[in-house]
Amino acid sequence: MIAIIENGVGPVAEPAPPEKLKRTVSASRLNCWLQCRLKFYFRYVLKLTKPKTAALHYGSVVHLVLQQWNLTRWRRQPFEIAKLKQVFDTGWLDQGGAIDWDGEEPDQKISAWNVLERYFTDTPIKAGELPEAVEVPVEADLSSHGLPVLIGVLDLVRAGGRIVDFKTAAKTPDADMALHQNGVQLDCYSVLYREATGKRESGRELHHLIKTKVPKVIITPAEPMLEYQRNRLFRLMEDYRDGLDRGNFIPAPGFGCMGCEFMSECKKFDGGRHE
Amino acid sequence: MITLEANYSKKIGLPGYSSHQFSVTLKSELADITQAQAESARLYAVLQSSVDHNIQQVGFLPNGNGNGNGHGHIPPVETDAWKCSDKQRDLILKITDEHKLDKAKVEQLAQDRFGKGVKSLNKLEASGLIEELLEQTGQSKPRNQRFSPPKAGGR
Repeated sequence: MIAIIENGVGPVAEPAPPEKLKRTVSASRLNCWLQCRLKFYFRYVLKLTKPKTAALHYGSVVHLVLQQWNLTRWRRQPFEIAKLKQVFDTGWLDQGGAIDWDGEEPDQKISAWNVLERYFTDTPIKAGELPEAVEVPVEADLSSHGLPVLIGVLDLVRAGGRIVDFKTAAKTPDADMALHQNGVQLDCYSVLYREATGKRESGRELHHLIKTKVPKVIITPAEPMLEYQRNRLFRLMEDYRDGLDRGNFIPAPGFGCMGCEFMSECKKFDGGRHE
Repeated sequence: MITLEANYSKKIGLPGYSSHQFSVTLKSELADITQAQAESARLYAVLQSSVDHNIQQVGFLPNGNGNGNGHGHIPPVETDAWKCSDKQRDLILKITDEHKLDKAKVEQLAQDRFGKGVKSLNKLEASGLIEELLEQTGQSKPRNQRFSPPKAGGR
């Protein structure tokens, strides 16, 4: 899934008690939990909201157009680039608040449409290929494992059960690294697909849309989830469950801090426990 | 004295997303445990035959297709239960009812998209159908709100 925040711009909402957060879990939440538990605390427990970033808006609009393209095939409608451009233009205008473009909005908009046009040319998905599913919310009850309900939205399931996730990126990813970094998300989708269909997926694919000056499309295929990958995911979910019980919101200073929207809150954080 | 109790139950789907079920229970006394297997088989045959015979009378149906007096057309029986989750089934029925959607059209939509009827959709397919129905009825939600609790009159 192209990065989607679960909090929009707006006033701070009521904090979510850990009990509530333990009922369900998603790939986004697990990744945030892995990245930095204090970031998780700010984003999901305190529900602090931040203005939408330019990169997030770029990714959201690209995702919106790809969804429409997939739905068009699912509905057996003809491919009409003008209609997709209309979806793109409307989506681009709907920014939901002020975005700091630093004067680059016109160039970013051109770049986003160019990368989509490149995708429509280079995609391995044939015009007549009917998707199995497009942008569907699914959930897997893992209570028999003592785990929360796993929830997620599948971007696309290609005919025959190939799970596809779309990404936008600034540079060409290394295939091994891309699969490693997106492993939690892909494994979550495999668990969701298997639970929803009773079948094993036939494969997984990352479709990277690279927003370089000359746009590129990189397809990274992955095998179906293996047993050890599922076990690893379940151990992570156990850690999530138990960590929430302990209020284990410790920061993880590192490279990830450079792009973190909660830097100012992090610097002031006193540990959260006052005995 | 050994008592053998056997129950046979069957639930079948009816037109308009209705269903009905019937179950019969019998008790039998055995003088010897060695009779259990044969008696169990006999009870099963009797119960199944009895339930199958009686359940064909579908009785009253809200859309007027019923045959309460036991005469007239017996509608074709669909496969038994929904394959999607209970939550999905309830949501499909809720959207259909609240927006007065033509059930035949919803059924046709499922056939067009998935090549099977609404009740036969698995959870993934049912989710796709729900998204489509929500869009058709102007209730489509942004991606990050798909798991929000349903509101009155909406999802």
